[in-house]
Amino acid sequence: MQQDNRHRNDLVRGMSRRRMLRQTACGFGGLALAGLLNEDQASAAKVSGLAPKAPHFAPKAKRVIFIFMQGGPSHVDSFDYKDELVKNDGKNIDFVGVRFGTFGKKSKRRLMKPLWRFKKYGQAGQTVSELFPHIAQHVDDICLLKGMHTNGVAHGPSTLFMHTGATALVRPSIGSWVTYGLGSENKNLPAFVTISPSATKGGPRNYSNAFLPTIYQGVPIGRAGLSAKLAKIAHISNPKMELSDQRRQFEFMQKINRVQLEAAQGDDRLDATIKSYELAFRMQMNAPGVLELSGEDEATKEMYGIGEKHSDDFGRQCLMARRLSEAGVRYVQINYGDESPNPRWDQHSNMPAHMNHARATDKPVAGLLTDLKRRGLLEDTLVWWGGEFGRTPFAQGKNGRDHNPRGFSIFLTGGGVKSGFSYGETDEIGHYAVEGKVHMHDLHATILHLMGLDHEKLTYRSAGRDFRLTDVYGEVVKEIMA
Amino acid sequence: MRSMLLQRFVGMVAVLGICCALGLVGGVAVRAAEIKKRGEEKLSVEALEFFEGKVRPLLVKYCHECHAHDARKIRGGLLLDSRDGWAKGGDSGPAVVPGSLEKSLLIEAVRYKNRDMQMPPKRKLDAAEVAVFEKWVKMGAPDPRKGKAGGPKKRVIDIEKGRKFWSFMPLRVEKIDRLKDEGWAWSEIDRYILARLEAKGLRPASDTDRRTLIRRLYFDLIGLPPTPSDIEAFVKDESKDAYAKVVDRLLGSKDYGERWGRHWLDVARFAESSGGGRSLMFRNAWRYRDYVIDAYNKDKRFDDFIQEQIAGDLLESKTAEERNERMVATGYLALGPTNYEQQDKGLLRMEVVDEQIDTMGRTFLGMTLGCAKCHEHKFDPIPARDYYALAGIFRSTKVLTPGNVSGYVEKTLQVSGPRKAAYDQYKADERALAGLVNSLKKEIARLSKRKKAAIVKGKRHPRPLPVTGLVGVVVDESKAKRVGPWKHSTYSSNHIGRGYIHDQKMNKGGSKVVFTPALPREGMYEVRIAYNHGASRAARVPVEIRHAGGVKKIFVNQQAAPPIDGLMTSLGRYEFKVGMGHGVSVSNKGTNGFVIVDAVQFLEVKVKLGVNGVAKGTTKIQTATSDNALRKAQAADEVRRLLKLDGLKNDLRKLEAELKAMRRKAPTLGKAMTVDESPDAGDWHIHIRGQIRVLGPKVKRGFLTVATPGAPKAGADATIGKGESGRIQLAEWLVRRDHPLTSRVYVNRVWLHLLGKGIVPTPDNFGTMGRPPSHPKLLDYLATKFMDDGWSTKKLVRAIVMSRVYRLSTQAEESLKKGDPENDLFGRAERRRLEAEAIRDAILLISGKLDRKRGGLTIRKFTQYDNGYAFNTVRRSVYVPMFRNSLLELFDVFDVANPNLVVGKRVASTRPTQALYLMNSPFVMEQARAAAERLLKLKDLADDERLDRLYEMAVGRKPMTKERELTLKYLAQERETGEGGSDTRILQAWANVCQSVFASLDFRYLN
Repeated sequence: MQQDNRHRNDLVRGMSRRRMLRQTACGFGGLALAGLLNEDQASAAKVSGLAPKAPHFAPKAKRVIFIFMQGGPSHVDSFDYKDELVKNDGKNIDFVGVRFGTFGKKSKRRLMKPLWRFKKYGQAGQTVSELFPHIAQHVDDICLLKGMHTNGVAHGPSTLFMHTGATALVRPSIGSWVTYGLGSENKNLPAFVTISPSATKGGPRNYSNAFLPTIYQGVPIGRAGLSAKLAKIAHISNPKMELSDQRRQFEFMQKINRVQLEAAQGDDRLDATIKSYELAFRMQMNAPGVLELSGEDEATKEMYGIGEKHSDDFGRQCLMARRLSEAGVRYVQINYGDESPNPRWDQHSNMPAHMNHARATDKPVAGLLTDLKRRGLLEDTLVWWGGEFGRTPFAQGKNGRDHNPRGFSIFLTGGGVKSGFSYGETDEIGHYAVEGKVHMHDLHATILHLMGLDHEKLTYRSAGRDFRLTDVYGEVVKEIMA
Repeated sequence: MRSMLLQRFVGMVAVLGICCALGLVGGVAVRAAEIKKRGEEKLSVEALEFFEGKVRPLLVKYCHECHAHDARKIRGGLLLDSRDGWAKGGDSGPAVVPGSLEKSLLIEAVRYKNRDMQMPPKRKLDAAEVAVFEKWVKMGAPDPRKGKAGGPKKRVIDIEKGRKFWSFMPLRVEKIDRLKDEGWAWSEIDRYILARLEAKGLRPASDTDRRTLIRRLYFDLIGLPPTPSDIEAFVKDESKDAYAKVVDRLLGSKDYGERWGRHWLDVARFAESSGGGRSLMFRNAWRYRDYVIDAYNKDKRFDDFIQEQIAGDLLESKTAEERNERMVATGYLALGPTNYEQQDKGLLRMEVVDEQIDTMGRTFLGMTLGCAKCHEHKFDPIPARDYYALAGIFRSTKVLTPGNVSGYVEKTLQVSGPRKAAYDQYKADERALAGLVNSLKKEIARLSKRKKAAIVKGKRHPRPLPVTGLVGVVVDESKAKRVGPWKHSTYSSNHIGRGYIHDQKMNKGGSKVVFTPALPREGMYEVRIAYNHGASRAARVPVEIRHAGGVKKIFVNQQAAPPIDGLMTSLGRYEFKVGMGHGVSVSNKGTNGFVIVDAVQFLEVKVKLGVNGVAKGTTKIQTATSDNALRKAQAADEVRRLLKLDGLKNDLRKLEAELKAMRRKAPTLGKAMTVDESPDAGDWHIHIRGQIRVLGPKVKRGFLTVATPGAPKAGADATIGKGESGRIQLAEWLVRRDHPLTSRVYVNRVWLHLLGKGIVPTPDNFGTMGRPPSHPKLLDYLATKFMDDGWSTKKLVRAIVMSRVYRLSTQAEESLKKGDPENDLFGRAERRRLEAEAIRDAILLISGKLDRKRGGLTIRKFTQYDNGYAFNTVRRSVYVPMFRNSLLELFDVFDVANPNLVVGKRVASTRPTQALYLMNSPFVMEQARAAAERLLKLKDLADDERLDRLYEMAVGRKPMTKERELTLKYLAQERETGEGGSDTRILQAWANVCQSVFASLDFRYLN
């Protein structure tokens, strides 16, 4: 018995040494090296369709981080200051209903001034409200789009539209399109991940490949409502077996598989299946490490607001996003969302609650921008911050605001967009986009363009028709290109 | 609205350079004068000057990028660089009507008032710029520019030419006369296959071995692996019809419907929730699933099957069962991924129609009809007119119910047969009981009202009671000895005698009232004290009773109503003797509210003596009042009423519980998700460019012209009665014997499921963008035979699996592999990956955990949302709830059909997520452990023999030598090194072996 234990201990020790060596070779410090080392990984990638592909033209950005603010943050309370809205606070305006029950009906709505004070920041003197004091420090790096508009009025349709370019029809997510167009930048991790996604408001369809091959499906890490501390890729580790035991089993299993492959007299698919096990095992070795934040120094964590009550959770998501991007994940989406009928930023009856959400996200987002910049990643990473729509300049009930898909703000920063720049305007009160209008289709076209993809050429033939992310719409917004 | 302008275009970029090039800088007047001089236009100089100076620059700056003949892309067919251009207009007609601001679409667009038509798209023109256009139109739109007009470029569809495409041609059976190797073919099917192989000089592969064949057949027909004894029996059966016997047994098994029903559910995009925005649960969708499974098991004629799904609710039914079944079948139309939350309900209605047309087109016709929604189909001979002929039918069908989040139509199913008698009995019982409960409720409500009134009345006007109206000896406060500043009051009329006194809430501890009664004789008395209660009163009024046994101190809560007739409370029973000094004193010591003193009553208690003189009991004294007849009657009545009320309430509770229990056990009256005829059934308009509010001409409801033999090219109109949707006619059209698509599409699907790929490799697309059939003659032969055989799926399946081509080996000689690398000629069998369901069901079968229960609702009760649903069932996969927002993980990982789409052919991807699932998921590990436990329970077997069992169950064969060696070595090694005691280690080692088998290539693939 004693001897058994000793034997086992030796094995475990031996394993951790091997594991250490492996991580040094394949870990994320030495990804490039890992790429050179593993010839067969590349061929597995080729079989799986995730091999890197050439873009249509030279890209400005290699990867995307999309920070999704679910529920519709208010632009008139954050980035789109309107003097006239302040001046006309409390006055009524005419409005024609767009929802069921009020569709087409005329009514009066009471204008409500922003609940927060605005200040000018940066060299560009961009006004930002007190909601986002940390993000405001970055205005000179940011490209604000203040003339956004989109389709749908309710969360479900608009959220789907933002992700897939369709409110009702089943279409692939933008992340799937990007991965389909460009393949993977890494060999041990998925190419498209979404951190803490919500299961509602479109749910899995927001990161679904739809009719694209399954490999372009987004891989969820955690889910909305689950602490980011627990977020991981499904089944990335074995809940029962010691690694050493599992390695013996794995080696045994692969030996059996190779015997069967030989008996089948060769078959590409069987071969690819064997390789998929190898890749899975490599993912199992590497992915948890990427999501593990303990190796980050305290100053970095502090910068993301990790350890602070309000911002800890989203801070972790943002830091994970940086680590994933750095490790070569092509498209990372961070979700500030939940499963409720009124998602996070959806303040129909209590606009002051916007402050809670700002507190939870402002520092983490700012921390991410700082971190990306100091690591030189911001140059070729495109960051997109925004919701599915904005909110109305007029009040709903006492102090709420309704959905506003007709005019709202988002921002882009990093790879290929102008910095310290603001594009587009809403009308005097912030209701309709009137100048420099950018439709969600246009934003999609622009993001693809920055990634080196022509949205009219990135097509996939399904059931006899060539589909694209932007359907028959979309214009690249050249005005915001750096 | 108007689509031409809706088409987004870029006009934002200022094109100053162009303005210069036009010579505007050089002087507008000069240029206008020149034109005038040349006599090209008879426009006034002022008009020309206005156009050249004001209007043209705006057009160039904002419009030409998309609406000029040299634009990169002309949007909406509209040109604004010539007079004819705007006069003729684009898809929506003239853009400018000279003189009319109202009729000029251009004005409407630049005014930005219509949300659906705003131009230029990126920026609203400023007021001055809009005014320029308005003035120009009012002036009569002077415009000297010549040039061609745009107008929609229409693809002209030639129906006659379209009919020459292979899939629209009539079916034609052409036999194969001669083969080089006549002996090879076992069936007609084989002749078609061999003919093409021979034409290419190729030989088919050899027949596969029996073990491989039976595994293939089992998975193909019932979706489960054969048991070791099934294999053994088949391998040993030397009779000629050994194989046919297995085929017929499997076709007759109920497992068959569970396998083949699932294939249909794939194309019917079956799901039990809507997914999308706000996902709605489809609580009764399981009935459709069971209907499909049942239809396959009883081999329902496929033409009936189609008709029931399109128009089941409208077909005449003989029995209630038939009616129910058909109602459920039509659920097919309602099961789509509808976004019920869509706020624009007009749009939602059309989205549903579009989804239905698209689904029906792909499911039954193998056509992508969606392309014809916005324009003439670009590839197939389907004009937009045909699309809206079909849309008229579906638009005339009601699918949605109104609401902010819309709902779907459900109808109650009828009950019949023996269940009907039971149901009727239940209904009668339930009605009777419910009636009883109701009348009781009414009575209680009536009494409660009266009681309330009585209380209110009592509270306000309780009559003061004269002392003489009371029984026993009563001492009024006026006769008592007082100490301290007591105050007389009649404020509350609820008192005895002329009033009562209170301590004025002062002199606490110093005031006292002493009652000394003149009792008629010695003996036992009940002592009661009267007060009127209230919140301002003291809660603990100390009262002392001096009696024969001493002094008893009691606290009275004067905030509480006195329990006896609302007048008095009892202080207890005491013995009083002469000369001992007796009485009752009330003090205000230690109190903090008003202390009320009204009267004290002494009631003699008559003690009954037993034989030995011991007290046996006492008479009961219930009320305080006596010969005051009125008061007495009132009190008695009140008591009776209250008693009755309590009794009634008790009865009600019991009956209600009974009713609830009865309803819980009620024979279920199912509901079906289905559709209805729409109240506004009728023909509908073409939607220009698919825009729902841009209506073109109305078209008669009808079908695909190209696929309707004999229909005029103007359209295959249907004859539809008033108020009818036309679904019956559509269903009849689909199953016309001469329909070129329906039977071809279906037999191709069946072929695909058995051979791994279709004769037409694109099963959902029989159009020009699909791929043509590899064996057109075989396809037509099968389609014709299928209809001749009474549209029987089982006969078709049987014919295919009995063919020799089905029974070929996956292994082939190099010459065949080279001559037909993609196996387009079916010269060998396709190696196929098991579908998600087969993987799961086989694992559960091997672990011994599979629950074979059939049918029924399988969503756990009270599930409101599909997200986060915890799947914990071990029933066959076809019964695992199918949600659009959360799929069973194993399904998701192993490419189950996406329930949002029509899936005729599943993908079989190879992904690391599958590997992770097989390596690390609790499900696989638990089943592996259960399988190991099962194996270890087989006593007296060597490891070797256990391994045989495992391999036979999982891969249908015994392990190869190398597999055996590796496994035994692994087992031995794990026995030494694993954790825990020896039994634990052995179990773990076997579990690991089972898991490795589940993850092995030969388990995942079907040879």
